[in-house]
Amino acid sequence: MSHPSQNFLGFQGKGVKTPFLERGLHRLAEMIKIAYSQWEFASREGFFQKLDARIKILFLIFFIVIVSLKKDIGSELLIGMFILFLMLLSRLDILCLYRRALLLGLIFGFLMALPSALNLFREGEVIFTFLQLSKPYSLWFYAIPERIGVTKEGIYGTVMLTLRVINSLSITFLVLYTTSFADIVKALKVFRLPDPFLIILTLAYKYLFLFARTVEEVHLAKKSRLLKELPPNLARQWIAGRIAFVFRKTQSKAEEVFKAMLCRGFSDSTKIHKTGKLGQRNWVAGTVFLLVGCLFLWI
Amino acid sequence: MEKIIRLENICYHYHDTISALADISLEIKGGERFAIIGANGTGKTTLLQIINGLIFPDSGRLFFKGNEVLKQTLKDRGFLRFFRQSVGYVFQDSDVQLFCPTVLDELLYGPLQLEISEKEAMDRAFEIMKMLKIEHLKERPTYMLSGGEKKKVAIGSILTMNPEVLLLDEPTNGLDPKTQCFLVELMLALNEAGKTLVLATHDLSLVDELQATVAVLSEEHRIEKTGRATEILKDEDLLLRVNLIHEHIHRHGEMTHRHIHSHYLFHRHDHD
Repeated sequence: MSHPSQNFLGFQGKGVKTPFLERGLHRLAEMIKIAYSQWEFASREGFFQKLDARIKILFLIFFIVIVSLKKDIGSELLIGMFILFLMLLSRLDILCLYRRALLLGLIFGFLMALPSALNLFREGEVIFTFLQLSKPYSLWFYAIPERIGVTKEGIYGTVMLTLRVINSLSITFLVLYTTSFADIVKALKVFRLPDPFLIILTLAYKYLFLFARTVEEVHLAKKSRLLKELPPNLARQWIAGRIAFVFRKTQSKAEEVFKAMLCRGFSDSTKIHKTGKLGQRNWVAGTVFLLVGCLFLWI
Repeated sequence: MEKIIRLENICYHYHDTISALADISLEIKGGERFAIIGANGTGKTTLLQIINGLIFPDSGRLFFKGNEVLKQTLKDRGFLRFFRQSVGYVFQDSDVQLFCPTVLDELLYGPLQLEISEKEAMDRAFEIMKMLKIEHLKERPTYMLSGGEKKKVAIGSILTMNPEVLLLDEPTNGLDPKTQCFLVELMLALNEAGKTLVLATHDLSLVDELQATVAVLSEEHRIEKTGRATEILKDEDLLLRVNLIHEHIHRHGEMTHRHIHSHYLFHRHDHD
């Protein structure tokens, strides 16, 4: 019987290592492609999906302001529960979204604020001691206390910041995953953004996908011809060459798109069609969000 | 029929050095089906872009309905609007042409730039969507469409401008047979409705199906011959010379033989 590490031709199953730069390139393309799933969620039948993007954008801004203004953990938890309820109504993949929100909340909320929980940076009631020094020290304007540990106020602040980050991310994910990019762009008209800016935004988003696909295909084409790991200098040379190739390709594509715009009547300004009036469902939902938001502000 | 497009001795070079078109003279009549055929790199796309006033020749002249199309004349808003409304161009790469957020925005873009009222633009968009059977794609972002759907939307985005002349660059390239068939029927219907069709292609079966007037471009970027589709497609020497067909050796069981081959007309064998 052949050894599991040998393949059917009898060669030792030693994989080809892909250099870090290439792996990064591949991951970048993969990451951008994941955003395709946004469209799939946005097309599902759910409560938030049925609302007009303008209401959702206003909801996003209003609730992020509320999350930032609240100063007690109880209110943040209540807001978090409200967002969870809306996510459930919208039939989103709760586990996937909260895994992302918790990971980012851990990095940009908990870990960033964790040092401030120590009494080295902020005075307070120490509830857990890490180090007991013989005496307090004073270095220039900086004072090191005799007992170094985590304070009650510091923990409260860290938890508060983490909850704010998680809530803000959950609200953003709720809106992003229930609204197609096209609708978000059109909803930005509410803020009187000029049409040429919206067209440029759309073009940038679309070509990001197209070129991410090119980058990934270039990477796979190379991988299919690779028998051993390239020396780092050659790998860097290859990456530099491909960056130049994609840059040239984007330039020629930009020229073609401009021609396509010209032939459809573009001269010095551009227009996109106005969005329709808001229906009764949107007015009701908007009013409910406003009332709930005011309630959160009041409590 | 009235001569709608006239090209006189057009020459074009890329980067002032590489020749793309050499001494091209053509006349296209209103309501005609006109095909520019040639191998890859003969200048078909360049020629269509010159006819659409997107690029300008190094020498030679282009006339549309008797008006000379120049950089200067296209600066005149009235003429620009008249010209863009009259001549629509469907690009070979649909991704280039689709730059709006959704399919509906795409169909409305042209009419809105031409300052057609929003109501009329909307009516046109819905009519075209019905005709192309793409109503269900109305709200879809264009990057979420298949190749065939993209091509239909690209054609629709031009048809909403209701142009008299349609320039189509390799319209059936890369499409599945069903979509190709749909496009051929659509082109014939549009021509029947009075539109002038000018297409650049190397697909000889398409030329035969449309029974177009044909201009053959040589690899020297010149017009080798102009004539009716039946006449051009019978001329094996000409098609061999311009690399649209080739000699081909293959086996049938034990027998190996050589014959002229194209994926359209000339794949014939002298035996059973």
